[in-house]
Order: sequence, then structure tokens, then C-alpha cells
Amino acid sequence: MSAAHAHAHGRAHTGPHPDAPGACVHHTHDILRFRGVTVAYGRTVALDSITANIECNSLTAIVGPNGAGKTTLLRAILGWMPLAAGEIRIGDHHAHHALPRLAYLPQRAEIDWDFPITVEAVVAQGRYPALGAFRGFRAEDHDLVDRAIAELGLDDLRGRQIRSLSGGQQQRVFLARALAQGADIFLLDEPFAGLDTRASDDLIARLTHWLDQGRTVLAVVHDLDLARRAFPQALLLNTRLIEVGPTATVLDPARIESAYGPAHGPR
Amino acid sequence: MHTLHEFFVAPFGYEFMQRGLLAATLLGVSGGLLGVLMLLRRLALMGDALAHSLLPGIGLAYFAFGPSPAAMLGGALIAGMFTALGSALVTRLTRVKEEAAFAALFIIFFGAGVALVSAMRTKIDLSHFLFGHVLGVGGSDLRLAAAASTLTVTVALIGYRPLVLESFDPTFYRALGGRGPLLHLGVLALIVLNLVAALHAMGAVLALGLFILPAVTAYLWTDRLGRLFAVSVADAVLGAAGGMLLSYHGGIASGASIVLVLGAAFLFSALASPRYGMVAKLVRLAREGRGVLHTPE
Repeated sequence: MSAAHAHAHGRAHTGPHPDAPGACVHHTHDILRFRGVTVAYGRTVALDSITANIECNSLTAIVGPNGAGKTTLLRAILGWMPLAAGEIRIGDHHAHHALPRLAYLPQRAEIDWDFPITVEAVVAQGRYPALGAFRGFRAEDHDLVDRAIAELGLDDLRGRQIRSLSGGQQQRVFLARALAQGADIFLLDEPFAGLDTRASDDLIARLTHWLDQGRTVLAVVHDLDLARRAFPQALLLNTRLIEVGPTATVLDPARIESAYGPAHGPR
Repeated sequence: MHTLHEFFVAPFGYEFMQRGLLAATLLGVSGGLLGVLMLLRRLALMGDALAHSLLPGIGLAYFAFGPSPAAMLGGALIAGMFTALGSALVTRLTRVKEEAAFAALFIIFFGAGVALVSAMRTKIDLSHFLFGHVLGVGGSDLRLAAAASTLTVTVALIGYRPLVLESFDPTFYRALGGRGPLLHLGVLALIVLNLVAALHAMGAVLALGLFILPAVTAYLWTDRLGRLFAVSVADAVLGAAGGMLLSYHGGIASGASIVLVLGAAFLFSALASPRYGMVAKLVRLAREGRGVLHTPE
């Protein structure tokens, strides 16, 4: 596993070290900038010249119908999708120079839940990008893991196998791993899928709390009501960008109709 | 004491038993590790396909170089890598999924191998290829087993984090810039190498038992990855020694007797493991007033 190193791209970097969580606490600049981002799978265009800015310290719901390119957008930020056109910049850097700043929460279905692994061991994986394949855990790595476990209230579950947890607890384990990574930009793919109301509310409270700590969150959200209730910002997508900005503005009836079509009103 | 000594120790006074035990122990160490990797990566059945596909390589090598162990092992290695790479290509470039690609290619290779062996009217005994023959374990087999074992242990140590992460959560592994397909081919290469190394002692097909059985047995006992590897290796080595004894006293082919001993350990675990065994599960279901048919999966 090659941990990409963030370094100033061509010119001197001023301001906080890009690896530092909370790097943008004192800034109100845009942390993510999309310029004409176009992604295609063969001849099918998945994202069509998306231009948008995401502010530091924001909580943004990525919303749109099935096949709108929501997951593709997250993957493009991670650098997994070759861009047919355009560019994505993270802070002052091209996206691929900023991998350690990004934490990605996969969809539930992508995890092998029967894997013989404990909560603590999953969270510890968050240190792998920093340590690479060989280096042992230092005191500060253990410390980061412990703090992430404590912050997500998993202390009593440290030794449990992950299948034996509830859906909400499982989600928290992977959020803790993202925290332990020391990232400050969190890309969450359908974090609310399969959570009951209580677990959803708990997750919302945690993400909102993260805003105070200089973290930026982008989450793919299917439930429009939940997006309205919990996310100050929204990005409405249907291959093309419909709108990005304050949720109340973005998710107004006319725009939703233009994204989802008149026949299938959103739930 | 005297009879115990006669049962457990005396058989290993014979040189062929010593060689067999040494080979089985070396292969048990690497097989125990490799089996865990195969289990976690869901490659258990693919190993069987790979094992069958080695035959044409062995046949061709025999045809070209005569009964030279080194040539036959080389041929097997090449055939195995052809199957692995061929399946990878078919998977990536057609709509056929990986397990189907493997099934298609291995049976072609096996068919070609049987054709070769029968057309050449050589003295290759097909049953030795499939099931092993401990008397055939020679110096070159031991050297190869030592090499395969060393390489497997080294790869498991060096690749521990990437291998674990890529099996558990491939998306996260990719998010960190990991190269999944390369890792996958590396594991397949390791499987082929170990199969080839186990050819004489166990037979290509039965050797899989030494890889897979200890891993699934250990999987029933622990949720911790480190312990999983340790229990698997211990089970493989003990099973190999026990199997050699069973082979000696019962006059059974060594590969088969090793598999039977390991199989008994697995069946016992599947029944009696307190957390993941059948009995414990049935007791829990009965308490909840449900039947087996109502359990998921």
C-alpha cells in the first residue's frame, strides 16, 4: 500500500500543514473545487462537466436519483476514476496529492462482516496509510486509535467481532477508523443505509459535532427529508450538476423535479 | 511407555518417514498460512481448480526432459501460472466472472493433461499426481518444500497489512492507493508454488487439504486474526505428523491420511466450537424456539 504524500504542488505551501486535521478551522475558503469534471464509463457519461466548490467545515449531502453519479463523484475525488475532462483540487493540491487527508466510508455491502477481526483491529487499520506496510505502531498511533474509539463510544466493544454489533455500532466502527486516519475530509457513501431512526439521529449528531472540529463531510444521502433536516449544504446531481449550496435552496420542488423527473417524485 | 514409543516414535526411525514428516511439516507451516489467506479471500475452491490444471505442465516436462523432478515441478509451475493469468485475462476482458473463468480453464488444462499422459504412454502414474506417494519424496522435494515454506512465511509477514486489508475491505485498500489485482496474482502464484512443492508428499489435489482444512478449523475457534494464523499453522503441522503415523500404521496413502486427520479436527470443530459450532447454534435456536430452516444463510 503506498501512502501518497501530500506535498506542496510546484509552489511553496503556506498555511497549516495539509495533513493536519482541522487544517481549515480558521479559513472559510473552498476545500474542494471541481472544474468541469467529466467522468465516463465507456460511452456512458456518468458525470458531465461538474463545476462546484465545497467549503471548508461544511456538511454536504450529495443527492440525486439512482445512477446520477453520486458514488462516482466520491470515487473521482479519491482519484479512482480517470477524469475525461476537468480537474479536482483539494485545498491547493491536485486530489492525488491529498489522499491522506481523505477518509472514505464504504457502503455496507462492500465489507466482509464475518471477517475474523475485532473492533479495535478495524479502527487500527486507520493508521495503515500513515505507517505503510511495515512500520510498527508508535505511542501516538495507539493514542489516535484510542481517541477515535473513545470519541465514537466504542470502548466497551473493543474486543468484539464486527458481525456481532448492531448496524449503528458497525457504522461507528468505520467512522472511528476514518478518524484514526487523521483525515479532515470525510467521504461517506450512504452512511444512513440500514440504520434505524435512533442510529441515524446519533450519526447526525456526531457529524454536526464534527463541524466544530474543522472537519468537512460529504455524504451520499437518499432520504431527502433527512438531507433537509441534517445537512446545511446540498449538492443535487443528475449526471450534470443541478445545484449546489444551502440545502433549502438546492432542494426546492422545481429543482428536485428537474433532477428526479416529474413522474417519480422523491420519497 | 514402550508401546507408546513404538506407536509414535519408532516409525520415524525410517528414513522415508523422516523425509515425509519433514516435507509435511514444512508444507504445514506454509499451508497453514496460505490456507488462511485463501479462506479470507474466498479462494478455497479455486485452489482445487489450480491443482488439477498442473497436469499438462508435468506431462509436457516429462515428455521433454524425462523423469526429472525439477523439470516436472517447473512444468507444473508454468501450467498453474497459465491458468491463473488466463483466468485473470478472461475475467477482465470478457463478461465471465472469475470463478467461472477458472472452472473453464482448469478443466481444459486437466483435459489436455490427461490427453498428453495417455498419448505418451509414459509411466507417469496419474494417481501419484493426484494423491501423492510419500516414498517418492526425495531431496529435491524437500528443498522445494523448504523454499516454498520460506517464501510463504516471508510474504505473509511482509504482506500482512495489505493482504488483510484487501480481503476485508477492498474499497478502503484502494482508497489508500493499493493495487488489488497485483496482490491477487501474487497470492495465486503462492498457491501454485505450494501445490507444486506438495506434489510428491501429498498429491496436487490432496495437498489442498493441508492448506484449507487447518484454516477453516481455526476459523471456527477465534475472531482474532493473529490467533487464526497461529492455530491454523499448529493444526496443519500436528495434522501432518498425525497423518504420517496413520499412514504408517494403517497402510494408507500419506496424502489421504493427513487429510483424514485434519478432516477429523475440522468436523469436531464444526460440531463442538462453543461460539461458531453446530451444537451451540442448535441450542441457541432451540432456546429461541426456531428451527434450522429459519436461520439466514
